[in-house]
Amino acid sequence: MSASVLVPNVVSPIVVSLYIPAIFTGLIVGLIGLLGISYQKNDLNALILTDIVGLGMLILVAAVGTDLAEALILPGLVVELAEILAISEILMSREIRKKGKNVDLIPLPVSLDMEVLTTAPTFMAVILIAYGAFLSGFTGGAIAGAGILFYVLSKSARGVPSDIWEGIAGASGIAWCLWLVGFLVFFVFPQFWLLALFLAAFGVFIKVAYKAGLIGVIGREEFKKE
Amino acid sequence: MDIILLGQQLLGYIPLGDIVLYLAPLNLFMFAGSLAFTTLIAISRTETQVEAGIGTLKDNEVKVNKDEFKIRRFLAIVCGLATAGAMITGDLFNFTLFVCLIGIVNIGIVSAVKQIDVLDAAFQYGLVAMIAVLPLFGGAAMILASTGSLSMLEIVNIPTNAMMIFGSLLLFLGVAGETGVAPFYATKAEMFRTPGSPFLLIIHLSSLLVIIRVIEILLIINKPF
Repeated sequence: MSASVLVPNVVSPIVVSLYIPAIFTGLIVGLIGLLGISYQKNDLNALILTDIVGLGMLILVAAVGTDLAEALILPGLVVELAEILAISEILMSREIRKKGKNVDLIPLPVSLDMEVLTTAPTFMAVILIAYGAFLSGFTGGAIAGAGILFYVLSKSARGVPSDIWEGIAGASGIAWCLWLVGFLVFFVFPQFWLLALFLAAFGVFIKVAYKAGLIGVIGREEFKKE
Repeated sequence: MDIILLGQQLLGYIPLGDIVLYLAPLNLFMFAGSLAFTTLIAISRTETQVEAGIGTLKDNEVKVNKDEFKIRRFLAIVCGLATAGAMITGDLFNFTLFVCLIGIVNIGIVSAVKQIDVLDAAFQYGLVAMIAVLPLFGGAAMILASTGSLSMLEIVNIPTNAMMIFGSLLLFLGVAGETGVAPFYATKAEMFRTPGSPFLLIIHLSSLLVIIRVIEILLIINKPF
């Protein structure tokens, strides 16, 4: 194909020849999703099936296979998530309004009675937090935050007193200061770069983890209001 | 062939690092038009629909309450700014992102209404917009793969090949689905049946301007002349 004109010589021909199969895979995945939607009568199932079409889009973008494609996948994924969130909000407010109730401007799920929150072992949260600590940095913070979120949600489903996590906000602020100190050390004492690196990495890890955990606290307080 | 197209003259660039905006009379005119309309929307108030009551001589007023008004005005302004950005961007992927933002915001503008059939139409439009993400981004990625660049100032110098034509067809399909024009207009027409006129008009205006811009982009990519 004409794409080979621009590919540097060091790239192996197998990688270049994968482009056309990847394009076909993406289009076929999209068609499978569309087929599923056309059979579907339930609105919620149709919404979930459109996510498969979105996966086809990600395959098409990833088929380019350069570092630019890597940078393009992230906005594609964000757009996909934003659209599915917007549409599910519409679906929720429509269903609530069909029942004749009043809807808030941003409808929240009325109760979080998922079965997984009461049956799954809370040990999962420990694994997530430990793995996040191993990764450190921003990604690790997000994973550990998911662990804390899971813990808070499952505890709230099982009915534990609510004021356990009150001090978390303060710890998050202190960790942020650690992060800033780490950056300062980078510029003032460049010879201690290893210390600065660890301060920055674990500072941002603790901060992001606690911030994500706070979502759970706030969300639970919202649900307790009713 | 240069980027001078449709009898236009290139007035200049705005290089923002990787992203280069280019200024040509048509793009500048559409940019200014979109911004002017957004300003008009930002300072205006909503209409009130009047329905005839059945079995009585009274009129039934359908009003928009204050919270709904505020969030709708905010989303309409975002939609106007996204349209303005899509008009002068010189980067293909930025264009697709702006179009996606327009699609999401269009759903958001009608998401808080009380009429169930309007919500139903918005849901269907949202499904089409989400499906249209596949050809939109896929087309842009295919053009990137066959030219090695996303900048229209570069693409205009590269001779067209079959993959670029296929990619631009996909791109057009994606824009049509995302803005809800010709084959997908049925749900969008249904979305207008709710009070709050000036904010709903931006949905219309954005799709019209984006279609003109995408035609210009297709001419740049395919170089038929």
